[in-house]
Amino acid sequence: MDKNSLQKSLIIRYIILALGVLFMIIPMIYMITSSLRPNSMTFSYPPQIFPKLSQLTLENYRYVLLRQNFFQYMSNTLIVAALSVLFSALAASMLGYCISRFKFWGRDFLYTVIITIMLIPGLAMLVPEFELAVTLKLVNNLWGVILFYTAWSIPFSTFLIKGYIDGIPKELDEATYMDGGTVFTIFFRIIIPMASPSIAAVSIFNFLFPFEELGWSQTILKIDSMRTLPVAITQFFQAHNRTDWGYVFAMTCLSMVPVVIIYLFLQRYFISGLSSGAIKG
Amino acid sequence: MDNNLKNNWRIGVLLLPGLVILGVFTFYPIIKMIVMSFFDWKIGYKQTSSFVGLRNYIDVFSDPIAKTALVNTLYYAVITVPGQIVLGLFVAVLINGIKKFSVTFRLFYYLPVITSWVVVALLFRYIFSNQGLLNYMLTDILKCTDEPIGWLSHRWTALTATTILGIWKGIGWNMVVFLAALQAVPIEYYDAASMDGCGAVKQFFYITLPNIKGSILFALVMLFIGAFNTYTPIMVITGGNPAHQTEVVLTWMYYQTFSAVGKMGYASALSVIVAIIVAIISVVLFKFIKPDNEI
Amino acid sequence: MNKYKKATSFLLCIILLLVMLIGCSQQSTSSSDNQASSKQSTSNNDSQKADSKDEQVTIQFWHNYDAGAGQIDVLNQLIAQFESQNPSIKVNPVYLEWSALRSNVVAGATTGMLPDVLRGDIAFVPQFQSLNVLTEMGALPDYNTIASSILEAPNSSAKMGDKFYGIAANTNTKILFYNKKLFEEAGLSVPKTQDEMWNDAKALSKGKVIGFVEAGTGAWNIAQYIWSNGGDLLAPDYSTATGYINSDIAVATIQKLADLYKAKALTGPSLDPGALGDTDGWTAGVYAMEIDGPWRATMAKDANIDIGAAQMPAGTAGSIGVLGGEDFMMFKTSDKAHQEAAWKFIKFMVGKEAQVAMAKVGQIPVNKEALTDSATIEAMPLMPIFSEALKTARPRPVTPKWSDIDNIITTKVAEAITGQKPVKVALDEAAVEIDKLLAQK
Repeated sequence: MDKNSLQKSLIIRYIILALGVLFMIIPMIYMITSSLRPNSMTFSYPPQIFPKLSQLTLENYRYVLLRQNFFQYMSNTLIVAALSVLFSALAASMLGYCISRFKFWGRDFLYTVIITIMLIPGLAMLVPEFELAVTLKLVNNLWGVILFYTAWSIPFSTFLIKGYIDGIPKELDEATYMDGGTVFTIFFRIIIPMASPSIAAVSIFNFLFPFEELGWSQTILKIDSMRTLPVAITQFFQAHNRTDWGYVFAMTCLSMVPVVIIYLFLQRYFISGLSSGAIKG
Repeated sequence: MDNNLKNNWRIGVLLLPGLVILGVFTFYPIIKMIVMSFFDWKIGYKQTSSFVGLRNYIDVFSDPIAKTALVNTLYYAVITVPGQIVLGLFVAVLINGIKKFSVTFRLFYYLPVITSWVVVALLFRYIFSNQGLLNYMLTDILKCTDEPIGWLSHRWTALTATTILGIWKGIGWNMVVFLAALQAVPIEYYDAASMDGCGAVKQFFYITLPNIKGSILFALVMLFIGAFNTYTPIMVITGGNPAHQTEVVLTWMYYQTFSAVGKMGYASALSVIVAIIVAIISVVLFKFIKPDNEI
Repeated sequence: MNKYKKATSFLLCIILLLVMLIGCSQQSTSSSDNQASSKQSTSNNDSQKADSKDEQVTIQFWHNYDAGAGQIDVLNQLIAQFESQNPSIKVNPVYLEWSALRSNVVAGATTGMLPDVLRGDIAFVPQFQSLNVLTEMGALPDYNTIASSILEAPNSSAKMGDKFYGIAANTNTKILFYNKKLFEEAGLSVPKTQDEMWNDAKALSKGKVIGFVEAGTGAWNIAQYIWSNGGDLLAPDYSTATGYINSDIAVATIQKLADLYKAKALTGPSLDPGALGDTDGWTAGVYAMEIDGPWRATMAKDANIDIGAAQMPAGTAGSIGVLGGEDFMMFKTSDKAHQEAAWKFIKFMVGKEAQVAMAKVGQIPVNKEALTDSATIEAMPLMPIFSEALKTARPRPVTPKWSDIDNIITTKVAEAITGQKPVKVALDEAAVEIDKLLAQK
């Protein structure tokens, strides 16, 4: 293609992309502006996306940060996110490695079972899981959330990581065996570093999960000091159909900050991490 | 690979954590759920349940609302899954071809993915409500209609509004998956095609698509599973109303679990049936698109 | 293939084992579960306090007092007061939103993960009782004495058969609220009869204004119209619904609502998910009338809406509202020490002082003395209207299957009003389904 039409097609791309971005972020803009307006103004008619400057107020943020246990909720959520990401990454990569490299007894079957579990939403088994949590004394305890989130994320993470490990040359393993290394050595020295893109990819998903999961966290975490952010946001849905929208949106905007940061941090690994043999053509 | 006794125990050690966590926290509840579906399961304090065989399954199959929920879920899946894939792929192709601002664009398109379902569902509910943004634009700004349209008042329009939410939220995820796949297609293919005088559109259909078949399949399966597990968007936007006309399988299951009394067996049977349906669809998709491959 | 077979059979064995264990454990729930769960709750309660030498007891109190109306602040003050009067008891309040309150009790029922005291909607009593978790409070030693200091009608909401499973915490019913400005602009006067109200609704509905908002379609919302016209939902002895829910009176009443909906003079968020929630709608000046409880006045005040209040317009048989409110409930899963502490706390909360304090933040007291106390009357200017309404308000049926019956009513009435089915057809179906339910053991 000659330079001119190359330029033209490039410009068209940019225009389309920019329009698309607008469509994607209008709801978010509305959310941010609503969080900056007093509660009673949220549903004024005619609706305004861009409020008058005079209406802006930081009242909602002040309320959320000062009068609520915001930092407690945030730290709870961060702890849950960090630990479930860590455990899931470890368990899934260990499983993925073994399934990818070794033909042990029941391997194919195990893999099929893991994939099948992926089809079932963790929350559909609420009652048995809750009974389990009580028996194990995990109620009102962040571990009750961490362990279950980990379990729910392992199937998908294993699937992705295993696919990626399939693409790591086996010669590296051989070399390590020659040097007197064990399976453990291979795992920690070679597999984990080389599979890190896929681990990063699943970690982004797993990190986000505690920031938006509501059903299970609401069941397990009853005490205010134990609550995670999604649960805390629901407390603004008051009795008798009255909701303090301003607080809801303010708290949501604040909760998105860590997730966006993690995303920016890990996103360069994201793309390569998803290029696994299982996904490609 | 190396399979002799010396290494076996190590493999076992590596497998153990994952298996234990999965076994205890996922596998056991699943089995229990299946068992529950054959009982008139009582969850009261110190109450015993009686075995009822297939009665719960019969109840599910003869329940008109369960059928409505299933149809609604299928509708949601059939609209959102291809919708997200096509748009996500489109955006990925566009972004793949530009150099500047690529990261910025990727961030903005991905933002909806990392926002909480509850809040965006609320936003969309507002946007589609009778006095909401969309109607405002139609009646006052664009002057298309006189009366506001009750998007959420009727079954199919409400479901469609929810699908728009689903697609909006998922485009970014698909974009990322397809970007990864696109970057794995060797440039030589495109160069060779250009030299043979092949246009951009033809290149897309004959080079790009076949080479990213795996990603498309992956996205199809994952998104289908996700679509069947939809709960929050419907719950927040319509709550299943009016009169349970917009229920999807998961919201109906929750209703039977918490709002009804003594329907735990029914809810379990419903879960099992849905799981089987999802499994069948996934297997069919796999066989259809990648008939030669094992997972 | 061989490996597959071996692995499969191995797995099947495990599954079979699990299934047998789970299945059998259900039959013999009694003894082992018994001990396990009561041990569970005691040790759970234990782990949450410093339960050692001075025998301090911490009770878990689940509630849904409204933070916005200042009720949580008052609750905390009352708790502090109670704790200082009872040094060996600590109260741990947990706020749960209305439906979360119910679902948490449902989820906690098998396991015994339940609080010691709960203040919840009176409509929960039948459902909780069917889970076999409520303590029969009527059997407590001084229950009758305390109950005599409380209004009888609200307290009857905790009575099932002839046993009491709770005690009234606060009561309410609904009256007519209207947007004064919209009425003035339309030149209408406050309606006194149901027909006037419906005509006013039609007259007010133009532009973005909708004359009447009805937030739901369950008994709480529509029973009042049917009762006020002389009809009923179920037979007086709760034995059947045929001839009541689908009687001519009921059909005519619901038909009026359906006509109004079609004329866009009546709406609500459960009828039409696209409609504004009632509070949001009032704030935006979209809704002109609603039959609602005392909280509506508080919310309108917060939003600077000039709201007027009047008796619910009468039907042909009078103005009969639905009795609402909350009850305190106690749970079987608490051990003796916790039950005693819980009862002490409840007695405190239904005592005059606590009731007056709560009255100041919108909770209509059930304590007879508190009702006539000057502080209460001062804090609730609408008290006269509510008192009048409370004289004729009726409680909803308190029968074990009530929750399910209400669900059927909610669904069928919604189908009727939104026009999905003709009113008679929908209500006939409701009667059939309810009767089937009542016939099951």
